[in-house]
Amino acid sequence: MPALIEARDLTKKYGSFVALDRANFTIQTGRIVGLIGPNGAGKTSALRAILGLTAYEGQLHVLGREPFRDRARLMNDACFIADVAVMPSWLRVDQAIDFVAGVHPRFRRDRALGLLAKTQITGSRRIRELSKGMKTQVHLALTMAIDARLLVLDEPTLGLDILARRGFYDALVDDYMDESRTILITTHQVEEVENLLTDVMFIDKGHIVLDCSVEEIATRYAAVTVTADHIDAARAEKPFYERRTLGKTILYFERPGSEALARFGEMHTPSVSDLFVAKLSGGVQ
Amino acid sequence: MNNYAWLIKREFWENRAIWVIPSVIGVLLILGALFGRVQFTNLHTPQQSEVVGGVVLSIFGIAFFVVMSIYSTWYLLDCLYADRKDRSVLFWKSLPISDTTTVLSKLLVAMIVIPLVYFVAADATTLLIAFIISVRASAALGGAMWHADLWLQLQILWLYTIITYAIWFLPVAAWLMVISAWAKRAVMLWSILPPLALYLGERLFFGTHFVANQIADRLLGYGPRAFHTGTDSSFWMTTTFDNDQITTPSSIWALLDPGTFFSSPQTWIGAAVGAALVVGAIQLRLRRTEI
Repeated sequence: MPALIEARDLTKKYGSFVALDRANFTIQTGRIVGLIGPNGAGKTSALRAILGLTAYEGQLHVLGREPFRDRARLMNDACFIADVAVMPSWLRVDQAIDFVAGVHPRFRRDRALGLLAKTQITGSRRIRELSKGMKTQVHLALTMAIDARLLVLDEPTLGLDILARRGFYDALVDDYMDESRTILITTHQVEEVENLLTDVMFIDKGHIVLDCSVEEIATRYAAVTVTADHIDAARAEKPFYERRTLGKTILYFERPGSEALARFGEMHTPSVSDLFVAKLSGGVQ
Repeated sequence: MNNYAWLIKREFWENRAIWVIPSVIGVLLILGALFGRVQFTNLHTPQQSEVVGGVVLSIFGIAFFVVMSIYSTWYLLDCLYADRKDRSVLFWKSLPISDTTTVLSKLLVAMIVIPLVYFVAADATTLLIAFIISVRASAALGGAMWHADLWLQLQILWLYTIITYAIWFLPVAAWLMVISAWAKRAVMLWSILPPLALYLGERLFFGTHFVANQIADRLLGYGPRAFHTGTDSSFWMTTTFDNDQITTPSSIWALLDPGTFFSSPQTWIGAAVGAALVVGAIQLRLRRTEI
């Protein structure tokens, strides 16, 4: 079975600025992939290219289609929520449901109404009358009512309070996700999503700097809290990042020979957010 | 086709002015007929009565049409710009509707749907006003409003005007859509600047007026091509009232000039330029997602 998303030498330039520099990556069906990178790293450019919102160089296939050429048909099987509330302000909630139901063959009205019934939002309200969090809830209800094979979420919970954010991610995993679907998600709140991701991609300066499954992190990376008397010996093993916190020194290693490192101190698998900081901070500090 | 129906409905939701403005004009005219002075005493012959009826109905029609043209211009400048400005373009692009369909639906709304709305509003208004005048005014003037032939001719005039107007002004409409799809701000200014710059540049460097003539012909040449402006006496008809004379075309049929319009190369050159600009607007819509 071909990959759901396949990018070869994907490049996006804005004038002389290269937002994506020959990026290569593959995303398989049934995964929840976090695309994580600092601001300006090329996250948005990658998502825009995948969704057919921008022209690009290189090869890109999403669900077997070329996104920029074939966006309309791609959107039968893919859906997305862009980074901020982008619902048109003049639209009424019931009009939004009618419209999407009218033009989208895979939209399930009952599902959207069910999701909205859990909120305070009524159909006669205009989007402009809703709070930022409510706007996001409407957009999420519309999007999650679509039986799509690929769901792309760009900062989906921006403006939601912590209860709504938790509720959203629970619903995403419990009700929405199944083995036929794939979710690609970017967020600044890495801690919030790291427990539900199956794969992570780190992007920096237009390059994919890490692309692996969450399980692989344990076999490829180790963090060791090194005691003071072992610090020089541990540094000799070439950690790629070093961090001091609360008087402790944590060293990060790639492809660890675990026994050898354990003698320097307590060893653990780095969390996605720690690994992100370690990979992107650049070298030993 | 289904997507077009939803997209047109969407334009009505977004731009309530499409039906609010003609409704307001209609209500104002009806109020005028209800409370204004509608006596017109010196009608004696059937010809006088029909001419006055025709003039009154035509003035209503022209009033609606002028407002419609102004509103359509504004609509075209706004239609691909508004949702980039508020970023809702990303929501619309998340739906399985191609940019070609979106752009064509907006063009269709501007050139056909909005004129039809005004046409219906003008008809409903004139019907009501004719009824009001019949009740309020002298029998002669009341009778002037009810000529089945006149009404039929007005319907044909409206439909003929909508079709020819859409074809003639296609390049202007498509140009406005290009600007609407492209400009980051000041759509009104951008719609005027490039033609103005071309005109000034041509005048400065070549001393010629080709661009200016083309633009002037496009903006002013519709009437002379779509309608008879004949000078021969058979075309005109003069009706004498007690102290005044009114000269009008002898009939609305005589006014229409489809032969000249559809055989004029300018009509089809303009339509071809318009089609090319529509393709340009679609390409810009594909690529320009943000302001």
